[in-house]
Amino acid sequence: MLLAAALVCAVATPVAAMASGAAGAGAPRDPLAPLNRVLFGFNAKVLDPFIVRPLTQGFEAVAPGVLRKGLRNALGNLREPATAANALLQGRPTVAAKATGRFLINSTVGVVGLFDVAGKGGIIREPADFGQTLGRWGVGEGPYIYVPVIGPTTLRDGLGGLIGYAADPVSQATGGLDTDFAIARSVIRGVEARSEADALLTSVMTDATDPYATVRGAYLQNRAAAVAAARGEALDLPAFDEPPPEEVN
Amino acid sequence: MPFRYINRRRLFAGMLVSATGAPGLVHAARSAEAEAFVASEGQKVLALLGDRGLSEAARQSRLTASMDALADFNRISAFVLGRHARTLAPAQRQRFNQAFRAHVQRVFLKQLAAYRGSQLRVTGSTARSPTDAVINSLVRVGSTDEAVAWRVLGAPGALKVVDVQAKGVWLAITLQQDFVSTIDNARGDVEVLIRRLESGGKG
Repeated sequence: MLLAAALVCAVATPVAAMASGAAGAGAPRDPLAPLNRVLFGFNAKVLDPFIVRPLTQGFEAVAPGVLRKGLRNALGNLREPATAANALLQGRPTVAAKATGRFLINSTVGVVGLFDVAGKGGIIREPADFGQTLGRWGVGEGPYIYVPVIGPTTLRDGLGGLIGYAADPVSQATGGLDTDFAIARSVIRGVEARSEADALLTSVMTDATDPYATVRGAYLQNRAAAVAAARGEALDLPAFDEPPPEEVN
Repeated sequence: MPFRYINRRRLFAGMLVSATGAPGLVHAARSAEAEAFVASEGQKVLALLGDRGLSEAARQSRLTASMDALADFNRISAFVLGRHARTLAPAQRQRFNQAFRAHVQRVFLKQLAAYRGSQLRVTGSTARSPTDAVINSLVRVGSTDEAVAWRVLGAPGALKVVDVQAKGVWLAITLQQDFVSTIDNARGDVEVLIRRLESGGKG
């Protein structure tokens, strides 16, 4: 526990100094909006339609649905050790135990994670990541950042993602981040994530009056909900009959 | 919003509280009437989606009636305009309300198609105030359960849903961010938003 606290403290303090507190609904903190919008547009008009989406569709065409479901399960299973570690750092032993149980059951009975046996038995996956851990201990989300191909993030979650990626227990146990296994895992995970989000992204790009603001709003809400869950708090909802505050830039 | 620093004392105190099992959990009363309202009216919408005996026109007509019974469109349409709501003239408000209602039906009924034939099961609720509750439910989609939360406002006997959360995202809040940004980018001209809604989105 002391080691965990020291780790969070060492990482959180400088990040907290850079990042501000979370903005409420209707007031996204987006000081980089002009640059973010350019990057979002470049991704939406060039990178995604001409590179990322065709790659995803090609993968969907050659990999049968059953295989892709198995891969999704296996990739999710490989995230469970990191989930357990983060849940412990967040002070949520029940979630950590659940993630550990899922990993043990699915890695054995579930044939290296290809089948979500634990989920069918009622042990449902509860994700936890290092950005959420930082938020759990009071690190503000900082400015919103849009990274082409990768997607939306914030200063806190971006740094948390990088640290979580580098410290991932499975990568560490299998030779590091530059092995063929680690690279293939990252690529397939990215392709699968884009594939899963396809219907939603298509709907946003078609139906939203400002797709950039919609993606930003949905992402920040989703992360705020994750941090609130880690704190054991209900998400703070806006009063329904009051106008939102001005956007913070 | 001021800068938030984390200090070691606060961190250790927080971890101690967590370790003793009391991390600020919300213990609020449940709202039985709101739970029953969502279970009943929400399931009606899902049942209509799955009724294969209906023509598409009849389905649309009945869904419109069911959505009206379930949701408070006037309140939602004021909310999604955010701080710009008070700038609309009555005639402009009426045009926006019509365009917004058509937009919601077009977009969300398309998305609701994924829930065709699904079963809704209310799992609990949190009463935020005597007239504001969040109802938690699980909607069975294929072989998996999806968590869906419903925000219900109103006095007993006059309950209406004003927002729905799926995958950690509240739809009305997201729409508000979308619409307010569109109006801001048009330097406060609400007509730009109305025209985009009438033309079916980005326009």
